Amino acid sequence: MRKRLAILALALTICAPPALAHKLKVFATAIGAEISGYGYFAPGGRAQDSAVSVTLPDGRVLATLRTNAEGEFAFVAQTRADHVFTLDAGDGHVATYRIAAAELPDTLPGAGAAPAIAATPAPQAQTAKGDVSSAEIRAMVEQGVAHQLRPLREQIDAWQEKVWLHDVLGGLGYIIGLAGLAYGLSANRRSKPQASSAMKEARR
Amino acid sequence: MAHIPDGVLSAPVLATGVAVTLAGCAIGLRALDHEKIPRTAMLSSVFFVASLVHFPVGPSSVHLILNGLVGVALGWTAFPAIVVALLLQAVLFGFGGLVVLGVNAMNMAVPALLCYALFAAIGRRDSRKLSILAAALAGGLGVILTALMVAGSLALSGKEFDAAARLTLFAHLPVMAIESAFTAAAVSLLLRVKPEFLGMPEPQEASYA
Repeated sequence: MRKRLAILALALTICAPPALAHKLKVFATAIGAEISGYGYFAPGGRAQDSAVSVTLPDGRVLATLRTNAEGEFAFVAQTRADHVFTLDAGDGHVATYRIAAAELPDTLPGAGAAPAIAATPAPQAQTAKGDVSSAEIRAMVEQGVAHQLRPLREQIDAWQEKVWLHDVLGGLGYIIGLAGLAYGLSANRRSKPQASSAMKEARR
Repeated sequence: MAHIPDGVLSAPVLATGVAVTLAGCAIGLRALDHEKIPRTAMLSSVFFVASLVHFPVGPSSVHLILNGLVGVALGWTAFPAIVVALLLQAVLFGFGGLVVLGVNAMNMAVPALLCYALFAAIGRRDSRKLSILAAALAGGLGVILTALMVAGSLALSGKEFDAAARLTLFAHLPVMAIESAFTAAAVSLLLRVKPEFLGMPEPQEASYA
């Protein structure tokens, strides 16, 4: 038993591979034009050092990023378009997340514009001390709300993958039901030859 | 890893998976006589629930597969048992995709079948120790073969085999150790209380009620 435990402990210490589980997910939010997010595995762990590609709906690849040790990545949007983040952990796990254009600030050029154009400079020059323009206030409010909403969205995203007890019980119920069905069918199949042999015996 | 999601594999691999799984299921269902039905359902349930048992490994966690145990106890019937459990896992838990169900089932059921062959070759009715050793080997073998088959499926779909195999194999080493111990423990218990469960009936056949 001790030997078995030792082998197990050895195996556990050797293996600290990139997080592995059964479902990979990507989560990202936009705060201003900066999109930050991370890849994670449904029951726990982050997708470390994995490739993330950023694509537009028309298939243009904007960038290929890598997640850091915390599974995080960041990207600054240059256009106001849907951004699709595809994370490939390399072992068959692939996940995508879409940041809708509506989540990005409307100061960015539209999807049709060349992505190389930098965001228009914020209208800071014209504002005097203690006097902020309505556009600035709106941007600040939006950023503040995005900050506040992020944990909530993370929680909702993670909750979608929670396995509930009723799922487990439902699955077990299905298996029991199938077994019952198989029983019924096999009983049906068996009873016919038995019935005929019983009749033969009765004839004798 | 073990549960490949949709949209990763290429069409020929998917088709192969479906063909192998259908053939395996056909043979498995033919072998499913009615005394085997409760056992099949039970192991299908065990397989279905095993994927929820997580072990923390480093920063992450891995989960059990238990296809070795299913194979040892069921033989060819492992195919339908695993297909049903995988379908329910995909629908209820979101583990793995529906289109790749055939490939996922193949990747877990073919190793299960090989484990059954291994157990039948080494295990002996009169030698408990040998049977338990065979079970431990089968438990580990099931996981390794599954990891290799997953890596192979990915490689045939255009991913690098080396990288995929390294990732899947290393991640599965702890699972392998745990399943080896678990399968050995389960078989040891079964040999003591219900040897006919493993196709090793006691001299007098238990009468069927």
